[in-house]
Amino acid sequence: MSILELREVSYVYGEGTPFEKIALDRVSVSFERGVITGLIGHTGSGKSTLVQLLNGLLRPRSGTVLLDGVDIWEKPKEIGKIRHRVGLVMQYPEYQLFDETVRADIGFAPRNMGLSTDEVEARVREAADFVGLGEELLDQSPFALSGGQKRRAAIAGIMAMRPDVLVLDEPAAGLDPLGRREILGGLRKYQRTSGTTVILVSHSMEDMAEYCDRIVALNHTKVFMEGSVDEVFSHARELSEVGLDIPHIARVALELQKCGVPLSGNLYTIEGVAVAYHRALVEKNGHTASGEEGNDRA
Amino acid sequence: MTVLKDITLGQYFPGDSIIHRLDPRAKMILSILYIVAIFFAKNVFSFVILTLSAILLVLISRIPLLTVLRGLKPVFFILLFTMVINLFLTTSTEESPLFAWNIPVFSWTWQITIYRIGILRAIFTALRVILLLSVSSVFLTYTTSPITLTDSLEDLMGPLKVIRVPVHDIAMIITIALRFIPTLIEETDKIMNAQKARGADFATGSLVRRAKALIPVLVPLFVSSFKRADDLAIAMECRCYRGGEGRTKLHKLRYHLRDLLAAILMVALFASVLFVNHINPLGIGL
Repeated sequence: MSILELREVSYVYGEGTPFEKIALDRVSVSFERGVITGLIGHTGSGKSTLVQLLNGLLRPRSGTVLLDGVDIWEKPKEIGKIRHRVGLVMQYPEYQLFDETVRADIGFAPRNMGLSTDEVEARVREAADFVGLGEELLDQSPFALSGGQKRRAAIAGIMAMRPDVLVLDEPAAGLDPLGRREILGGLRKYQRTSGTTVILVSHSMEDMAEYCDRIVALNHTKVFMEGSVDEVFSHARELSEVGLDIPHIARVALELQKCGVPLSGNLYTIEGVAVAYHRALVEKNGHTASGEEGNDRA
Repeated sequence: MTVLKDITLGQYFPGDSIIHRLDPRAKMILSILYIVAIFFAKNVFSFVILTLSAILLVLISRIPLLTVLRGLKPVFFILLFTMVINLFLTTSTEESPLFAWNIPVFSWTWQITIYRIGILRAIFTALRVILLLSVSSVFLTYTTSPITLTDSLEDLMGPLKVIRVPVHDIAMIITIALRFIPTLIEETDKIMNAQKARGADFATGSLVRRAKALIPVLVPLFVSSFKRADDLAIAMECRCYRGGEGRTKLHKLRYHLRDLLAAILMVALFASVLFVNHINPLGIGL
């Protein structure tokens, strides 16, 4: 069951000028309710345009964007309400922090929704909790936070709207490995507890494999591939032809298969490949694997 | 935001006309000469000469005439205003008015008079503004890139170094400011979108409300601008930037024969304006 759907959507930048550039060309894609969908595509494939179409920051030149089956541009005056239902975290969202305290900043969107002070406070706490910002940080200036904390505060600022769909454009860009894990892991937990539909744009195939349920791949203004993570990553050759890739570990698995190791199952996360490799060893050596190779599982 | 995209700053039209290839310093001096000539002109003939030479200049530069005229749109109301003021408020003791109306306003009468000299002044003032803007923009913005412009500014202001004016620093500041205008516009666009995604509304409400709505845009913009300035300063220091002292140029400006020819033409134009002013063939003038 899809919650957000694009039907034959096109978007052109600088129409009618010498700098005209087609960003999306009759794209039709639907995003399923209650799962994390990853959006991949090389630079300039139209990812950022697509996410801005989802919450009505951009208006398609042709085609329709449907939220729960209703055209979001049916009443252009009420596009603000759509933006509350489809929360968009833009790239490097820490640049949007402005208020005096983290608390006030996270509360900016709920205040704009016209909620009561108590309700705003409750949502701020809930959102700060999801991203792992402690109570003691809420009364600090957002400019006093570290880079990763700023990023999390900015994401909380969108989560506080309790959107039906949360769209994140490269939420982990420029963070260190720990920062990435905290943000993406937190996101996964948030999605599982709140049941929100999440759309995640990323360049990292590893992140896609680890955190997403479904994947939509864009290439040159068009949808190139769409499906579950297994389906998409089983097309390693096609992906690499359009400048995309599969996770490193999936390539390791492919090479192992070439060497004659019979691997099967989930072959795009480290855990999955370890399990498959272990199983292959068990099958080869009879019913028990030797000790040291069995440790691969860990 | 379409509003921001419409700001056409430094509308440099890349091209290869003779005007494009003139030395930017020469173009600055030529513009100044032309502007002075405009203010010397005081009869129909001198204005005809100036207008024709302006049209010729646009044609040679191969900038579409329509583009130049469209560039005048922002001053349209100022032009209209000065024309009206000149038309109705100019009085003369030497001649009788061409028109005179008496309009009763409650208990007193308001007299409107139009003199011949008033009409002339209105037309001449408008022409002056139009010529001034179009010629200087053809010389300095349409055919000269902002960077070479500041470069030549530095060169022309060179003598001021003697009285300790930090000429190089001023030029560098202008260059950097120009360089970052597009960046700032892009950044503003991004931040506005981010705040719109959080339900900010910039388009409706009273003026005060809308001004307040800009705070969430201005604060992040200031923060990132300061950060960017800091980064740029460090990057410049890393490349051993120490101001203008002993600094040589990659693209050194050189005068060519064409600059001399252009200067001679401009002086000839100037002289003919003065000459025509003096003889006033048709007798129509101020």
